[in-house]
Amino acid sequence: MSNKLRNSSSTHASHDVMTSNLTKRKFNKIFVWLRSQGWRHIVAIAVCVFAGFPILYIFSASLNNRGTLVSSNTLFSSISSDNYYELFHMAQHPYAYWYVNTVVIGLITAAASVFIGALAAYAFSRLRFTGRRIGLLSIIVVQMFPQVLSIVAIYLLLTKLGEIYPFLGINSRIALIMVYLGGAMGVNTYLMYGFFNTIPKEIDEAAQIDGAGHARTFFTIILPLVSPILAVIGLLSFISTVSEYAVASTVLVSPEKQTLAVGMYAFVSDRFSQNWGVFSSGAVLAAIPVVVVFLFLQKYIVSGLTVGAVK
Amino acid sequence: MSKQENIQNKRKRMKKRIVSQVGNNVGANILPIVVKIVLLGMLDAMSLYGAFALLMQHKWVVLGLLLVGTGVINWIYWRSHGLAAKYLAPGIVLLLIFQLFAISYSAYIAFTNYGTGHNGTKEVAITALMQSSLVKKEDSPKYPLSVAKCGADYSFIVQDSEEQLLVGDNTQPLHHIDGTRNADGTIHSSQLQNCKVLNFSQILQDQSAIVSLSVPVSTNPNDGVLRTSDGQTASAYISTFRYDKSSDTMIDTKTHEQYRDNGTGAFVNDAGVALQPGWRVNVGFQNFIRLFTVKELQQPFLRVLLWTIEFSVLSVLTTFILGLFLAITLNDDRMKFRRLYRSILILPYAFPAFLSALVWAGMLNEKFGFINQVVFHGTEIPWLHAPTLAKIAVIVVNLWLGFPYMFLVCMGALQSIPHDLVEAATLDGASRWKIFRYITFPLLLVSVAPLLISSFAMNFNNFNLIYMLTAGGPVQTGSSMNIGSTDILISMVYKIAFVGANRDYGLASAFSIIIFLVVGLVSAISFKATKSLEELN
Amino acid sequence: MEVFSTRRIMAIIAAASTIALGLSACSSGNTSDTSSSESKNATITVWADADHTAALKDVASSFTKSTGINVKVIQKDLGSVQKDLITQVPAGQGPDIAIGPNDWTGLLATDGVIQPIDLGDAQSDFEKVSIDAFNYQGKIYALPYSIENVALVRNTKLAPNAPTSWDDMVNTAKQANAKYPYLLQIGDQGDAYTMYPVQTSFGSSVFAQNSDGSYDAKNLTIGNEQGKAFASWLSEQAKEGILSTSITADIALSKFEAGESPYIITGPWNIPALKKAGLNVAVSAIPSAGGQPAQPFVGVNGFFLSSQTKNKIAATNFLTNYVGTEKVQEALYKAGGLPPALSSAFEKVAEDDFVKGFEEAGKTGVPMPNVTEMSAVWQSWNNAEVSIVNQQGDPTQIWDNMSGEIQKTINK
Repeated sequence: MSNKLRNSSSTHASHDVMTSNLTKRKFNKIFVWLRSQGWRHIVAIAVCVFAGFPILYIFSASLNNRGTLVSSNTLFSSISSDNYYELFHMAQHPYAYWYVNTVVIGLITAAASVFIGALAAYAFSRLRFTGRRIGLLSIIVVQMFPQVLSIVAIYLLLTKLGEIYPFLGINSRIALIMVYLGGAMGVNTYLMYGFFNTIPKEIDEAAQIDGAGHARTFFTIILPLVSPILAVIGLLSFISTVSEYAVASTVLVSPEKQTLAVGMYAFVSDRFSQNWGVFSSGAVLAAIPVVVVFLFLQKYIVSGLTVGAVK
Repeated sequence: MSKQENIQNKRKRMKKRIVSQVGNNVGANILPIVVKIVLLGMLDAMSLYGAFALLMQHKWVVLGLLLVGTGVINWIYWRSHGLAAKYLAPGIVLLLIFQLFAISYSAYIAFTNYGTGHNGTKEVAITALMQSSLVKKEDSPKYPLSVAKCGADYSFIVQDSEEQLLVGDNTQPLHHIDGTRNADGTIHSSQLQNCKVLNFSQILQDQSAIVSLSVPVSTNPNDGVLRTSDGQTASAYISTFRYDKSSDTMIDTKTHEQYRDNGTGAFVNDAGVALQPGWRVNVGFQNFIRLFTVKELQQPFLRVLLWTIEFSVLSVLTTFILGLFLAITLNDDRMKFRRLYRSILILPYAFPAFLSALVWAGMLNEKFGFINQVVFHGTEIPWLHAPTLAKIAVIVVNLWLGFPYMFLVCMGALQSIPHDLVEAATLDGASRWKIFRYITFPLLLVSVAPLLISSFAMNFNNFNLIYMLTAGGPVQTGSSMNIGSTDILISMVYKIAFVGANRDYGLASAFSIIIFLVVGLVSAISFKATKSLEELN
Repeated sequence: MEVFSTRRIMAIIAAASTIALGLSACSSGNTSDTSSSESKNATITVWADADHTAALKDVASSFTKSTGINVKVIQKDLGSVQKDLITQVPAGQGPDIAIGPNDWTGLLATDGVIQPIDLGDAQSDFEKVSIDAFNYQGKIYALPYSIENVALVRNTKLAPNAPTSWDDMVNTAKQANAKYPYLLQIGDQGDAYTMYPVQTSFGSSVFAQNSDGSYDAKNLTIGNEQGKAFASWLSEQAKEGILSTSITADIALSKFEAGESPYIITGPWNIPALKKAGLNVAVSAIPSAGGQPAQPFVGVNGFFLSSQTKNKIAATNFLTNYVGTEKVQEALYKAGGLPPALSSAFEKVAEDDFVKGFEEAGKTGVPMPNVTEMSAVWQSWNNAEVSIVNQQGDPTQIWDNMSGEIQKTINK
């Protein structure tokens, strides 16, 4: 457009100056926008491509009815629901059970972890006792023990436990949850501790002056105030439970008791790229609960994670 | 008004409301006590049940631990003071049972020779040795067998080739009795008054006792003993080894050579030949000494250690830098589509991590993967097969997996930095970079440093990523330990413990104890350095 | 006194009701200590990988129907079966029975995890190679179930006739305009097993064999000149793009299904999938690439018996009186497609062209060694082949290093 203008107005010197000023201003405007806003969009879009394309790829593969790794490279070359149908009709691989198990185990673990963590964080934040400092540090450090070898120990422990309490033995989903809860205190407690510290002490003091017991203060006053961090910890623990493979594969033996991580891995380990399509559809569905919960809690996470830590 | 103040005000209002509520409800303190009684009651009932079960199984140590543990918990909750313990007990009990047990067990194993050939207890080894030392006598017929319970003991009733019935047990060699055995298995005999012949499903009730029965064929030990493995037929066996309990030696029945327990976890003869399998024994600090003295271990260990540090440091740095950069980028209220961007950016974190690694492995396939076929138009880049590229691939994939977490963390941290500080600096004419360098970044670091430390520790032991993406490969030829270029310490430990012909669980445990000490120490020191725990005092 | 006993379990099943009546009459006259426990049936636990689980499920349930012994088939991936046997059995846990390939025998026996099985007279009913495969230090450690070896599978649309030589094979593929002259899987982790017939066609073997056919683990022959010739060949083929570590087992299969090559070197376990994909395939012996006969490894799958089993009688009955029978071996073949190890069942299914083709290819085959040293060998061997195919150095040098490594591990 500016070229056109320039050509048509070549005889009018003054006009020419005007238009060139105009274009300059226009460029300036774009430049300013780029400096203040545009680059943000460019960066965001670039990283969104990096973040999103593997997921787009998986989604495309899940709709591809040929369903092998080799045939999945053209995105959305074919659209069919065959893989999804197949997913729920596999002999030996009860996908629907895995799905329900994963969600249930994940939710229970998350809820219980939050509760246990909150109790501990309250103690560390509000109560004064000897060994408090070292205690907080040690529960964080203990979680750093490499899990790979503890698998054998956990196996032995659960078989012995199962001889006394059958519902806590190998192949029990309750036992798996208990093992997960063994790690409920850790970095999570530290995150919560930070957030608890931001709640002014006068609040519980006032409540106690008014005659509320410590339990009442904790449950009815403190917990509602720290709900953002509870949401965050709940979500983090849900995500890590859903993804956990090593312990779950040791504890859960029979297919209908397994979680998605265990079942899907056993399913793809032998015939990896041949089952690519079915595997992809399984992965897409597996991601849904996490994504839904995640998007739902997004605003909590942003405020919850760091308000406490910054203080 | 800044966000911080806003929150403070909200809290003040809330405080007033709460206080007034509490005031109305004093006296309604009965509920907590009821809950406490019910919960503790359930716990005690469980313990009691377990205690009885343990009593029946004669497991005194565990019984003692259970009783003491239950006692302590009750004590914690019934005494009037010691509030902290009441809040910490649930988490700590679970931590003690499931985490500390695993750590102590590994610590114990680190001092044993647990591994190939030394897998179980001495009893298990002796059982296996006796099982494999049984040789069937070549001329022995396969006798049709009936098992009878005579008093408290079992006897074999077999029929020889002349259709004569023979009976015998562990102490009494086979001898003839009168009677007949029908084709369908029924037995008529007047000489078995005290005996009850078992049917098959009764045999199944006490299989271990019946298969361990060995009935001498005659008074001559060279004729062998009758044994059964299917409960329906019996054959004569001769054992090539005899275990002498009093002297704790295995004796070769032919040469009379003695194999003694010499304390190394195996029966060994004078020539130094050991019988397989052996069993697990305590070897003191031997595994730890081997870690630092055996040459074949040292060289791969140092190389892997170096890469592990590179990997975990780079993983934390790359994810943190990208996350922080994104957070700064999106930290502008005027920006459009922020929520949409944010939702897409957290997708990798929401996607189950173990699946992501597999997906990336597929996409990075040299010939047929999406990356080479589509992004690089068919160039065959050996992402997972060339040592350096594989390392880069591992870091990039981990960046993909990990940056959303850092992005969220930094975004929250940025928002909680007081606006007035930044505004004041801007008024003073400080450049954007200077504001970031001297105000934003240091404040941000205070809050995220502890998370960076725990992320470092997590990546140090990030077994899943390595195992599912490259399995440690590409392999390096010339190392007898099968250690690949992308193996980190923990995947190396896994290989030592579970892969190959000479699995060495004891050595692997020693390794993991060392790793734990190092990571724990580094983290503890860093935590102190960040003074993040300072405010406790 | 008249009491019922059994000769064979089958007899019980036949007369189940009669005996049940007789028993109750009997036990009422005797002590009553067993009456309560009789209702509790024995349960044997079997570990199997995905392929075998499918084949076993029906067989197991019909065994339960006829004997009342429950069979619990637990599916695990093959790698963790071996690992978990070694960690769990010594703790008194683990299964009663596990299905696995014969090359595990040495390691599992050394760890005291499995026990010898008394096959009795039935031993001679099995193919000799399958019994030899589980013979470790003179004892048979498993009930053989299937025999398998790789062979040349061809797509008859692209290559109607079996090739007469390696060159004939390559030429046919060229004329058919195929992308690959043949498909041979390697994968990231290497696959010396599938490669072995090609390697032996250069005259190279792992160990020297004694006159009776057993392996002399002390005499490692893999590093000799013939072995190095094979290494050079590997490297050349990789340079031409025919061999690649990207070609995993399943990618090779899907390339074959897509018609990108008329030939694939693979085993009977893939035949059902190929049939399902609607391909017309035929099986023949593998032509020689190096001049000597191509000798694939003959692997045998079998049922191992745990050394710590508390159900030895039930498990032995399941194995010897049931899995070892012609009917069941045939049923397992139908479900899994692997040629049975029991001679009579094998002969029956040998009518099948596929089985015949694999048998043809396996005629020159050698049993897969089951010595403990084997797992050290596999590792270095696979690694070396991966390195050669990835062009990570001089092939003969890599091969030489490998031989030295294996020797060192064996000497330990």
